[in-house]
Amino acid sequence: MNDADTDADTTDRLLLQRMAAGDRTALTVLYRSYHGRLCRFLSRLTRRADIIEEVINDCLWITWQKAGSFHGDSRVSTWIMGIAYRCGLKALRQHGSEPVDEDSVPEDRIPSHDPDEDRELRDWLGKGMDRLTVDQRVVIELVYGVGHSLDDVAVIMQCPVGTVKARLFHARVKLRNVLPGLAGATSVTKENAP
Amino acid sequence: MRMPTDTGRDCARAWEAMPWVLQDSAPQEQTEWLMSHLAECEGCHAEFEQQKRLRLAMSLPADVSIDPELGLRRLLARIDAPEVETAPARVAGGSWLTRALVAAVLIQAIGLGALGARFWAEGTPPPAYRTLSQQAPSVPAGAIHVVPDAAMKLADWSALLRTMQLQVIGGPNDVGAYTVMPSGGAATSPAVVQRLRVAHGVRLAEPVNANP
Repeated sequence: MNDADTDADTTDRLLLQRMAAGDRTALTVLYRSYHGRLCRFLSRLTRRADIIEEVINDCLWITWQKAGSFHGDSRVSTWIMGIAYRCGLKALRQHGSEPVDEDSVPEDRIPSHDPDEDRELRDWLGKGMDRLTVDQRVVIELVYGVGHSLDDVAVIMQCPVGTVKARLFHARVKLRNVLPGLAGATSVTKENAP
Repeated sequence: MRMPTDTGRDCARAWEAMPWVLQDSAPQEQTEWLMSHLAECEGCHAEFEQQKRLRLAMSLPADVSIDPELGLRRLLARIDAPEVETAPARVAGGSWLTRALVAAVLIQAIGLGALGARFWAEGTPPPAYRTLSQQAPSVPAGAIHVVPDAAMKLADWSALLRTMQLQVIGGPNDVGAYTVMPSGGAATSPAVVQRLRVAHGVRLAEPVNANP
């Protein structure tokens, strides 16, 4: 954990203490701080915005209720991501998992300021992630997207570190085998586009 | 599935180190070692470039647009009205069920009480049956079961009883048997039984306590 992570965790712990005392301003700060990362994390599980919004609110509702019982065994972010992961899996069981299909995403859900380069990168990543299982996508997001350690991911997913290592290994091998080809296909498509 | 690299242990070590070097969480010496390896190994260099691109792609914001302020307002509203959202429905349902169960138990208790009071007031009538475990109705010692012939006249039956100094203490039962005893509480002798057996109009005479 670097200095920035330590500072962020200290801030999060203070927010949790205030939330445990019923401070809604602290909840508001925490909500805005985590909304973006939770949204991206959950978008690896499902493409449905309504489910993502529901899970974010369920997650922070639980965080609000359990703020006083946080013992500090892990970072606050690890604790909250673990809650979001379990809420996300529960929502998937209730609503059914959605395939990662960029074509099903309405245009208005893709940020209008998204430059072409980002859009191509997003498309390349989406097609690669589509080849992974849900658990593999979660591990890739937590390691490469959020920057968690293997130990943190094991806490979030409530499984042994060895299982996380195996999921990360298989996900990387799959991506290594498909991503270069997808990058070439994307470039060719772009070059042939009018 | 094949190993990510097959050019030696260094490539495997480089493969292991890449995510943590990209996270900037690897020790300094591990980062330096990886950089020196990448300078010499074209395959690992290409893999690391792809890993960098993967990390860059993963760091892009979510492409699913959700208004955080709207979600926050909904969460605060949920916190403001927890009793309205969930608790009352459960409590109301539980309360209705509880009331129904209590009413049913009360009705049963009242019914049982009334039934018990009625039996207490009337006295329990003797059952019309007898189980094998119950003791047989007591018959005085020395009694004799006598079955007169169906054609025997009442006057003849009365005369026989007088002659034998017997009196009827029970019967006739379903098969027409009478229970008789010597008058004045005298003991029954085998001679009395024998005389009954040979008397005209008597089909059967048997001491009650005699073993079959």
